[in-house]
Amino acid sequence: MIKTWELDPEFKYEIMKESGGEHLTACFQCSTCTLGCPLTEIIPTYNPRKIIQMSLLGMRNEVLTNPDLWVCLICQTCTARCPQDVRIADLLGAIRRIAEREEEAGKLKIESVRPSFDKAFMHQIQKYGRLYDMGLAMEYYREKEGSFFKGMMTMSKDYKKFGMRLFKKGKMGVKSMFPVKVKDREVMKKIFEHMEAEKG
Amino acid sequence: MSNRKYGYYPGCPSESTAIEQDMSVKAVFEKLGVELEELEDWNCCGAAEVEDPELVYALNARNLAIAEKKGVNIMTPCSICYYNLERSNKALKGSEELRAKIRGIDDSLAYNGGVEVKHVLDVLVNDIGIEELSGKIEKKVNVKVAPYYGCYIGRPPLTAFDDPDAPVLMDQLIEAIGGEAVPFDYRKAKCCGGPLMMTMQDIAFKMARDVLEGAKNAGADCIALACPLCGMMLDAKQEDIEEAFGIKIGLPVLYITQLLGLALGIDASKLGLNKNVVDTKPILGKVV
Repeated sequence: MIKTWELDPEFKYEIMKESGGEHLTACFQCSTCTLGCPLTEIIPTYNPRKIIQMSLLGMRNEVLTNPDLWVCLICQTCTARCPQDVRIADLLGAIRRIAEREEEAGKLKIESVRPSFDKAFMHQIQKYGRLYDMGLAMEYYREKEGSFFKGMMTMSKDYKKFGMRLFKKGKMGVKSMFPVKVKDREVMKKIFEHMEAEKG
Repeated sequence: MSNRKYGYYPGCPSESTAIEQDMSVKAVFEKLGVELEELEDWNCCGAAEVEDPELVYALNARNLAIAEKKGVNIMTPCSICYYNLERSNKALKGSEELRAKIRGIDDSLAYNGGVEVKHVLDVLVNDIGIEELSGKIEKKVNVKVAPYYGCYIGRPPLTAFDDPDAPVLMDQLIEAIGGEAVPFDYRKAKCCGGPLMMTMQDIAFKMARDVLEGAKNAGADCIALACPLCGMMLDAKQEDIEEAFGIKIGLPVLYITQLLGLALGIDASKLGLNKNVVDTKPILGKVV
């Protein structure tokens, strides 16, 4: 049920100010995005068109806490097919960033582990300038399981066979225990600090 | 015929999970006489996990600036790296304001818009060209191949260099090396599920299973691809997917540059064919 007195008429402008959200109001609700979305074969209720309509109506809380935001594969099928150039894949990214900021401010709770995965990934780039697979997995599992120890236990269970397989092919070994680092790590730090400052 | 030298951006998986892609790209370009100069001290493109476009632009401004200083255009074998590098390139070329803003973070991010970014598949088919490649073929790679393109070759329109639903560039290469591209319908360009691999594995596995079963049912001897994340899902995780659904796939998965390398007469070990997780020997037996 839509409670009109709870709608936030400013929400659509908030999204449009976010990089990637600029084309929101071009949507004319044709549903091409949803019809082409490969996720709907697995989750029949998955519906990006509905997320857009709810955003346009100003259903801010419902949109920002919708777990479907975090299932998007960013495969760009919707963006490629949209007759109105809404750029849905970018638009959902813009909404996800607003949700993450709201969660950081303690205003809502995101029911997905995906933000902690993305954050763990970004921390590797921030620290080393390159992706450090082992560091990513350790940080992500620690966050997901609530402690370093539990994280390591679950990780070794989940990845035992997979790790062995890669080890046999020489793709995972002593070398992959350590990060590959760019020389100019100072600039990585600067980039992330700058973006952080701009956000806050 | 265009530029015979490229600034090579290998991408993070090139040293680990996609080492065979890196090896085969280098071996193929050496054989073709096209120079690759690795961009010195390149950094991660941001992959699919850095969602803030401005952060992606800043990270890649550094990579683009490194290439610009060397006076080379960029070539990358990874579809996600390509997407991030090229969308950053387009955004930076299109806005002096954005360039100035990013330059303000650090001098090493000063980029003036003088670089082109290309995916290895684009370089092979459109820069070097099927005609030149055909003239250098030494062996017939007599295999039925399911050409799998994934997402960022034909999408989004901003950076695409092939059709979003029915891409053709890899099919052309497969024909040129004496192989047969089997009908692979919409699965050609359907997502492999990779971005959800670690966070929603059940969904990721269903996506990948559809691609794997599609290729098998089409009668393919192997899958060809051009992106390390697709390689991770379809090759490295194939056994896990078989186990999760109680199915048997057993389909070798090769990078298109490995198949091309075989046709160019390059030794299998130099192309890293012993590095693919699913055994590639059945394919080697069909190279004549």
